[in-house]
Amino acid sequence: MTPLHYYLIFAALLFSVGLAGALMRRNAILVLIGIELMLNAANLNFIAFWRYSPTANELVGLMFVLFSIGIAAAEAAVGLAIIISIYRHHRSTQLQHVDRLKG
Amino acid sequence: MNYMELLGALAPEAIVVLTALVALAVDLLVLRQAPQNARQVVAVSITAVGILAAIIALSVAAPSPPWMDGLLINHSTTAFLKQTLLVLALVAGILSIQSRFTQHTGEYVTLLLLSTVGMMLLVSSDNLLLMFVALELTSLPLYVLTAFNKESPSSSEASLKYFLIGSLSAACLLFGISLLYGLSGGITWTQLATTLRAGSEPIVYLALILTLIGFAFKVAAAPFHLWAPDVYQGAPTPVAAFIASGSKIASFYMFARIFMAALPGTAGSAAWSGATPGWVPLVAALAVVSMILGNVAAIAQRSVKRLLAYSAIGHAGYALLAILSNTEQGMGSLLYYVVTYAVTAMGAFAVVNVIERDVQAPNGESLTDFAGLSRRSPLLSLCLLVFVLSLAGIPPLAGFFGKFYIFIATAQSGTSQGLIWLVMLAIGTSAISLYYYLQILKQVYVVESVGQPTPVQLRPAESACIVAMACTVLILGCAPNWLINRFSPNSTEVRRAGVITKPSTTLELAAEIHPRITAPLGTATGLVQKRPQFETTTANAQ
Repeated sequence: MTPLHYYLIFAALLFSVGLAGALMRRNAILVLIGIELMLNAANLNFIAFWRYSPTANELVGLMFVLFSIGIAAAEAAVGLAIIISIYRHHRSTQLQHVDRLKG
Repeated sequence: MNYMELLGALAPEAIVVLTALVALAVDLLVLRQAPQNARQVVAVSITAVGILAAIIALSVAAPSPPWMDGLLINHSTTAFLKQTLLVLALVAGILSIQSRFTQHTGEYVTLLLLSTVGMMLLVSSDNLLLMFVALELTSLPLYVLTAFNKESPSSSEASLKYFLIGSLSAACLLFGISLLYGLSGGITWTQLATTLRAGSEPIVYLALILTLIGFAFKVAAAPFHLWAPDVYQGAPTPVAAFIASGSKIASFYMFARIFMAALPGTAGSAAWSGATPGWVPLVAALAVVSMILGNVAAIAQRSVKRLLAYSAIGHAGYALLAILSNTEQGMGSLLYYVVTYAVTAMGAFAVVNVIERDVQAPNGESLTDFAGLSRRSPLLSLCLLVFVLSLAGIPPLAGFFGKFYIFIATAQSGTSQGLIWLVMLAIGTSAISLYYYLQILKQVYVVESVGQPTPVQLRPAESACIVAMACTVLILGCAPNWLINRFSPNSTEVRRAGVITKPSTTLELAAEIHPRITAPLGTATGLVQKRPQFETTTANAQ
């Protein structure tokens, strides 16, 4: 079986890629994709820890992933709705055009 | 365990969800063609009935049985916090009657109530999964509510910023939780508390930092505060008021619970000499940055809502002091502080809501719109005076005792008063904050209004709410015992926690300084679960 730390390193890389994308991208949709990558990295962690834990029959990690997938879907729905409302006002989803509020 | 017992334990939440659905159905099926004002009154009336029922259900609810450990916690403190959250939601509903920011009354009320359910579950949750789900249930409706004024570009912009920063920090929180799960092998507070120790694995610190980011965002602590000023300014004012009050109470309570109850082994120390790594120095860093940045940046603000946002960041800094004191009296003082702060902030936003409707400026209110308010509405000015002075921490008002309790709890905690430097910094920044609070009062009482002063239009329900909140702030300031007693545990709670309460030195000191403070501030033992609870509960299970 593949050792646990392979999964953890992969999840950490995925998280970093997602975080970098979320912080550096200028387009709101791409930021949202970065955030989804971060959530998936966390899910991968849960599954790996659950699979290798001595109490794998308790299904705790698996339950957590099911809930977090559901929440991620709800979050994406809300996020895209907000991005549509931004597009209606600004005719753009670029974050640098959305700068009315400052101070 | 059976599902009827679970339903019994969650009856108040179930009532609120039902109310939300009834309000939505009535609005969409029956009142589609009715005038906007009638729809708002009906929706808020349904909300009021449901919230009243939930408050009654909470007051008769029994403490949660032992089988529920690791799932839900219900005791007198959580019941009181939930009742406060429900009242705040109702006030936010009443404030939005006759406002013109939306045509979708049913959806508005439904989202408001669903967010309240999220906060109620957050207060009760006893494991990481329920906590995360509740946190998202709180946040997602608030993102939508922030964008509810579809005609205003500021509203959707504020919502986008709130959403992006919020879901970024939620993702960090989830990754942190996944590491905590992997390190401890469980998700309940007791499992975490018994396995995690500082210094054993470096990755513990990564998990702590990521978890901390998630909560620092929710409570708007600097440097994760960037959403707060924009959301407070751009969101419809009743929504901003609810974000500033209800969401703060629930998040701070959970923030304190997860770190004090679930991660006591990784606390570390933030003492001026001899700091050790852990979450306490991290929280201390957040508190220092929040207190300085919030109070200094507020001075430059021209919009009162933005000013209140920066003041909220400063107040988050003070409340973080109570968390990093990591003691039971810290928890008691934190709850007193956030509850009184929430009422005060709600009141201040209610006054801003009235002024904003009165001026009808396209870019929202500004500080100069408050000029000469004392001639236009003496009652409103008096209430604003109470709220603002309470935020500043002037003695007979609740805000003073909130800060006072926190400073004492922080100064007393730790070895040889190592945290006194934080208290001194907090007192210094409080002095700075007085400047911008008095700027508001200067506009209200000293500066003449432009042109002939016309009376401000006040609706009866709205003015009743504002006066009631001002009276609450005054009464809680004159008799802080009443609220502090609420946060002392009932006997079952102490027995279940397996910890005998003993009088603390803080209390004696407080009694010396102020004769009225004889309440058992330091005896809120049931709030912070100590490790002995694990042993007693496993004994019960066997």
